[in-house]
Amino acid sequence: MEEKNSPKPDARDAAQAADLLVTVAATLNDRLALTADELARSQVLLREASSELMTAFRGAADRLVAAQKSGARQAAPKEVEYEVVLDHLYRAVQHLQSHDLVNQLIDAQKLRVDKMREKLGEAISLSKPPVADPAQAEQWIERSRAMLDCIVEGISQIDDDARQPKSDRKHAGSVDLF
Amino acid sequence: MKTILAVDDSATMREMVAFVLESAGYRVIEAEDGAQGLDRATTTSCDLVITDQNMPNMDGLTLVRSLRELRDYKNIPILLLTTESSDSMKAQGRAAGATGWLVKPFDPATLLEVVQKVLR
Repeated sequence: MEEKNSPKPDARDAAQAADLLVTVAATLNDRLALTADELARSQVLLREASSELMTAFRGAADRLVAAQKSGARQAAPKEVEYEVVLDHLYRAVQHLQSHDLVNQLIDAQKLRVDKMREKLGEAISLSKPPVADPAQAEQWIERSRAMLDCIVEGISQIDDDARQPKSDRKHAGSVDLF
Repeated sequence: MKTILAVDDSATMREMVAFVLESAGYRVIEAEDGAQGLDRATTTSCDLVITDQNMPNMDGLTLVRSLRELRDYKNIPILLLTTESSDSMKAQGRAAGATGWLVKPFDPATLLEVVQKVLR
């Protein structure tokens, strides 16, 4: 008769499988932590660049609009110059929008990564308490299943709160009047 | 001077829209989501509403539907300016009562053309 706590071969296999799942979840969580960090750094750099560009844009745009409102346009040396400056600013408008859209994309990716990390962390925490009877394969299988359920739930919820821009270059700038 | 309400949760996007429209002589008021947009629209008389779709609190389609229920906004043009470009979303916009659908990032000259057209 076997002792209650000495694992049978199938229980050993189930325990190894559960350990492997923990290793996979922990490794994936570490990689996602790196990704989250890199996304955050990218966003800081982009925000700083966008902020500088916006400051420069604002300065030029405010002066142009103020000049137009006060009627100074007529007093300007050349109307052509006004149009040229406006044209440059219009082009800047298009590219500043792209900066903003990239920022929104990064926000959405960060949210996804954070959500998945949270679920992986939750799954890993399920492996912490000792199994009541390590000799029972079912208990290891039950643990693995709970971890997998948690990970699958994370995957299924990954897009829930992400509001990333969805347009592609093909449709950018398109107009439909109904 | 025509007054245009620009609704977008991105401050940068609102600023871009406002600059382009103000440079063409329009007065622009801003709101940062659909709920605030609805509030602004009821307290200020607007000749045109330009709204984003994906926003917190109230999205663009809900704003369009809510505005269309107001007597003052039954016939006011409402444009969706969004990154969404699928046909199904555009169909929802049309069904909600939107006047048109523009996909970001917008071209300033095109935006002004559309605005002039719908305000005619």
